[in-house]
Amino acid sequence: MSVEELSDGIFEIDLDGRKTLATKNIMPGISVYGERLFREEGVEYRLWDPRRSKLGAMVLKKFEIPLKYDSTVLYLGAASGTTVSHVSDILRDGLVYAVEFSPRTMRDLIQLCDQRPNIIPILADANKPLSYAHIVEKADVIFQDVAQPNQAEIASVNSKYFLEKHGHLILSIKSRSIDTLASPKKIFKDEVHKLEGGFGVEFEVLQRKELDSFHEDHLGLVARMFVDGE
Amino acid sequence: MVSEFTVWFGRLTLDEAGELIDCHPFEKNPDILAERLLELQEGGQKVPATAPDLRRLAFDCGFVDMDEDYDVLLRDVCIRAAKNRISSTDTDDVRIVHAVEALDDIDKNVNELSERLLEWYGLYFPELELTGEPLSRFVLAFGSRANVPDDHPLFEKASKSMGSELSFADEELLRSFASNLCSLYDTRRHIESYIVTGMGSLAPNLADVAGALLGARLISIAGSLQKLASFPSSTVQVIGANRALFKHLRSNTPPPKHGIIFNNIIIKNAPWWQRGKLARAFAAKISLASRTDFYSGKKDPSIKEKLELKLTAIRNANPSPPKKETKPGGKASGARGKGRKKKGGKR
Repeated sequence: MSVEELSDGIFEIDLDGRKTLATKNIMPGISVYGERLFREEGVEYRLWDPRRSKLGAMVLKKFEIPLKYDSTVLYLGAASGTTVSHVSDILRDGLVYAVEFSPRTMRDLIQLCDQRPNIIPILADANKPLSYAHIVEKADVIFQDVAQPNQAEIASVNSKYFLEKHGHLILSIKSRSIDTLASPKKIFKDEVHKLEGGFGVEFEVLQRKELDSFHEDHLGLVARMFVDGE
Repeated sequence: MVSEFTVWFGRLTLDEAGELIDCHPFEKNPDILAERLLELQEGGQKVPATAPDLRRLAFDCGFVDMDEDYDVLLRDVCIRAAKNRISSTDTDDVRIVHAVEALDDIDKNVNELSERLLEWYGLYFPELELTGEPLSRFVLAFGSRANVPDDHPLFEKASKSMGSELSFADEELLRSFASNLCSLYDTRRHIESYIVTGMGSLAPNLADVAGALLGARLISIAGSLQKLASFPSSTVQVIGANRALFKHLRSNTPPPKHGIIFNNIIIKNAPWWQRGKLARAFAAKISLASRTDFYSGKKDPSIKEKLELKLTAIRNANPSPPKKETKPGGKASGARGKGRKKKGGKR
C-alpha cells in the first residue's frame, strides 16, 4: 500500500493494485456516509468515491484542484454533505461556507456540521447571493454544484460578489438541468460562453472536461476570475 | 459615499473603500445573533457593491480579537439559525401531507397482506367467505376453525369444512400475522380521523366543499396548501390525471374530465354526460375554498351552498344523455375531422 499526495490534502492510494482517492480524516473514527476508513502509518484516511462526488471525479480526470490547506471556500449546492465532508478534510486550516436551499437535505448537512469545526451551514438560495452577504466573507475558491437551469449565472453573480481577486471557480455543469433534449456538448459550449463574460464578470477557463464514466452529462470546469484593468 | 451595512455581528458604517467608519457590535449571545441572522436574510437590505472583509471588520469593531473566535462563534450562530429554520418548516400542511402518504402506504401493504392471509388461511377453512378486515379479525379471534363456538353463525361451516387441520405452530403464526394486519387497520382508522380533525383546522372550507380526505389528497399532490391555492381551477380539475392530460396534449385524445376529484360522490355518482360539467363547477369551488383557507382562514359556508345551487342547475339542465350528432349527409367526409377532436371516449 502506497500513498501519494496529488495536491493539497488529496491522496491517491494504491490498495492491492487498485488506485483509489482518499482524504485525511480530520475526525478520526467517524465515517460520514458509510465510506471505508483505513489507517496507514498512523494516519486515518477516508475513501472518496468519485461516483458520488463531482469533485472526486474531477480529480481523477486530472484536473488541477485549486484548493489549499488554508483556503476559504464558498460551496454552493452542498446537498447532504458527501463532497463537503471531503472538502472539509482538505481544508484543515480553512473554512467552508456551505450553502444549501432545501431544508430536507440541510437536515443531513447539519449533522455533519455538528461534527466538524470548519463547515458553516447556510440555508439560502444560491440565486440570491445578497441574502447571505452579511454572513460570508471573501472566498479563495467557489465550488458550485447546483442543479439549476441558470448555472452560469449563479456562478457569475456569486463570484462577482464573493470571490477574491484571481480567485478560482470550480464548477460542475449538469446539462440535464438546463435542457433534457438538446445535446450536452452544445449546452456546455453555451454555458462556458456565458461564463466567459455574460454576466459582468470574466473568467479564464483553465481546464474543462466531461465527467463521463463517473457522472453522465456533466462537465467539470476550473476557471480563474479576471480582474478589471488586466 | 458612506453606507450602512448590518452584518451578522453588528451594524457597520463603511466608507466608499469599504473601510470602517463607525460600528455597533451586537451582544455576543448566539441565540439572539441567530435570530437576527434570519431576519437579515429575509430583510433584503442594501449591500456594498462587493463583499467587504467581514473578518477584519469584526476585529476592527472589537467584536472578537482572534481568527478562531470568529470561526467558532459564526459556526455556532449559523448552525443555530439553520436548525431554527428547519424546525419552522414543520407546518400543519406538511403533517397532513405525510398523513395522506402514510395512508396510501398502509393501503398498499394492507392489500398485499390481506391477500396473503386469504390464500394462506384458505387452506384450512376454504368455506369462510370473509375477506379483508373481517377475515383478519376472525383469524385473530379464533385461530383454528375448531375454536369457533357452537353459537357462532359460522359454526356450521366450520365444523363441516373440507380444509385441512391447522397445527399448533401454524395457528400461532397465522394469528400473529392477523394481529399485525388488524393493528394496521386500526392505525389506518386513526390516521383517517387525524386527517379529518387536521383538515378542520388547516383548511375548513376545503374540507367542507371537497371532503377532508379528498382535500388532504389535493394538498398532498400539490405539495402544500399555498401551492394548491395558487393553481388555476382547471388544473385542480385534472390533478391526478397526469397521464390522460399529457396524452391529450401530445396526441388528439379527448382531455380528461376529472382527476382525483372523481373520488367525490358528486362526480362518481353522476351520469356520464354530466360529469365533465359537474367536475368543472366542483373544481372551481375547490379552488375558491382553498384560497379562502390559505388567505383568510375563515370558514365561509356560502361556498358550499353556491356549489349545491350550481350542481342542481347543471343536473336540471342536462337531464338526459345528449343525442349523438347526426352528420349532415352528402358532405365530403374528408373535410370533416380536420382539427377536430374525437368526441366521447372513455375517461
